[in-house]
Amino acid sequence: MNERFCWNFDDLVEMAVTGQVSQPAVRRGGYVHGPDGVGEVLPGMYGITYNARVGDRAFGWAGDHVEPGVSIANPNELADYALHYLTCIGNEAEVVTGLAKGAKGVVTGEHARLLVDFTPDVLDEMTVGDTIQIRTRGRGLRLESHPDIEFKKMSPALARALGLRVEDGRVSCPVAMELPPRIMGSGAELNAEFVDQDLMSGDRSLMDELGIDQMRLGDLIGIRNVDHRFGRSYREGWVAVCLCIHGDSVMTGHGPGILTLITGPADLLDFHIDPTANIAHTLGIRGMA
Amino acid sequence: MNRRNTLATNEIDLVSVSVSGLVAHPGFPGLPAEPYRLSADGTPFLLPTYGGIVYNVSVGDRAFGWAADCIHPGVSIGQVEDNWNRGLNVFACVGNTARVMSGEAAGTVGVVTGKSGRFSEQVIVHIPQEARSRMTVGDQVLVRAEGVGLSLTDHPDVSLKGISGGLLAALPAEESNGQVAFGVTAQIPAHLVGAGLGLTSEGGSLHMQSTDRKLLQELSLDRLHLGDLVALEDTDSRYNHGYLRGARAIGVVASTDGPRAGYGPGIAILMTAPAEQLGSFESTDTNLVQLLDIED
Repeated sequence: MNERFCWNFDDLVEMAVTGQVSQPAVRRGGYVHGPDGVGEVLPGMYGITYNARVGDRAFGWAGDHVEPGVSIANPNELADYALHYLTCIGNEAEVVTGLAKGAKGVVTGEHARLLVDFTPDVLDEMTVGDTIQIRTRGRGLRLESHPDIEFKKMSPALARALGLRVEDGRVSCPVAMELPPRIMGSGAELNAEFVDQDLMSGDRSLMDELGIDQMRLGDLIGIRNVDHRFGRSYREGWVAVCLCIHGDSVMTGHGPGILTLITGPADLLDFHIDPTANIAHTLGIRGMA
Repeated sequence: MNRRNTLATNEIDLVSVSVSGLVAHPGFPGLPAEPYRLSADGTPFLLPTYGGIVYNVSVGDRAFGWAADCIHPGVSIGQVEDNWNRGLNVFACVGNTARVMSGEAAGTVGVVTGKSGRFSEQVIVHIPQEARSRMTVGDQVLVRAEGVGLSLTDHPDVSLKGISGGLLAALPAEESNGQVAFGVTAQIPAHLVGAGLGLTSEGGSLHMQSTDRKLLQELSLDRLHLGDLVALEDTDSRYNHGYLRGARAIGVVASTDGPRAGYGPGIAILMTAPAEQLGSFESTDTNLVQLLDIED
């Protein structure tokens, strides 16, 4: 089916960027606060996460903003922005220092750090400070038949693997679930090329009613009536296809992180529900959990 | 001060403390020649934005239509040191008295009308226009901070946020069946709540989104004025701002509209409750200018 799509893959520039495995950090005071004000100290962000991997559940961890796999950053601010803005989901990563040198991984998300998946045996050999190099490719990606659909942080590998189809001139992407725009929260203040926007999971009964609490890390997500081209805002008649990149949060206005992959007007872009639409599966990273 | 309600509070127990700020200088990112911000349509724009002394926009003026990005009316103050600025931003309450303490307008009395959030974090003060014309960037403004710790004795589930006892007493209010409701000029649906979600609700601001201009027009939300009291539906602002059915937040329009995605007029949240304990009713002209007898 994908052969029918004409992409500008041949025009994309491939560049190396590097980051180091981060050391977990705790905010001053230690506590994160839930909606009733109760403070907790929870793991989740930074570092090597051994037991939460793309394809695993996004909800229910005794953690906050759980980042699956290895979280890397560059200590130079400008280089770190290059790491953020050039890296695309599905790009190949390689460990270039330390005991795991030579091991290959895949970029599965972008939070305040880049999130890279490696197999558990590679994680066992890694340490904080190891350098990971990413072969970035995907910025400038265009679907020649639909130039008004915008692709963000989309590697050619992921573009091929998504399972896009065209129906009545509209590109449709399989997604695991749809989110209502009224629960899109923290990250509204950021540009849409930078990290993610959390869904707001504070209405726990709504999470259950809509089945949102069944979300998995790596799930493709559809949202209607939002425009994610230059920031993320409510606009009727626009669509975004996104990716769940980190786990749930206890904090009000937060929840699993939703990263923009595709956005466009509803007459050109659509999505359809396919419960298996998860990049752990589509990119062949691992079997479904 | 107009007293429009007789709601019981613990105002007698509040401690009044000084916090000060300096009139903030407007700031822009510099090299390499990129002062632009992006509108929701991707167009780069270069417009006045927050900070400084604003001579011709005051509380009570329209919130929409200015050639500006989230302008603070009147005078914006801040502290350079982060912790001091935090103290200023958290403890200064809307309705508190502010006084110019240095410079040509020293002695002039004004009032806190709002705050702003992430990326600016300033306190917004109304100073009469004539005095504004004599002020300079760097002048010290002292706020008699009073309001943090304020609670409604008969409505303990309502959390008050950065509101002075005087402003609370001046609000149109109704009590029925254990619920307390306040008069507002507009109700904003949850899907139009934007930048500020997930960020602190002790200080700062929460913006309504104005990208969908057609929808704003349909809901008459593009007629809001600076200083208007507004309600945000299904919004829980007890500890950060977020979505929750049955919750409600009430705040005051503190800054103007702007072209960025996720943004629109900034709202300083004054109170919230999680489960129908806080209501609102339409009350046109519920604006700080009338509530606090602000003279320009």
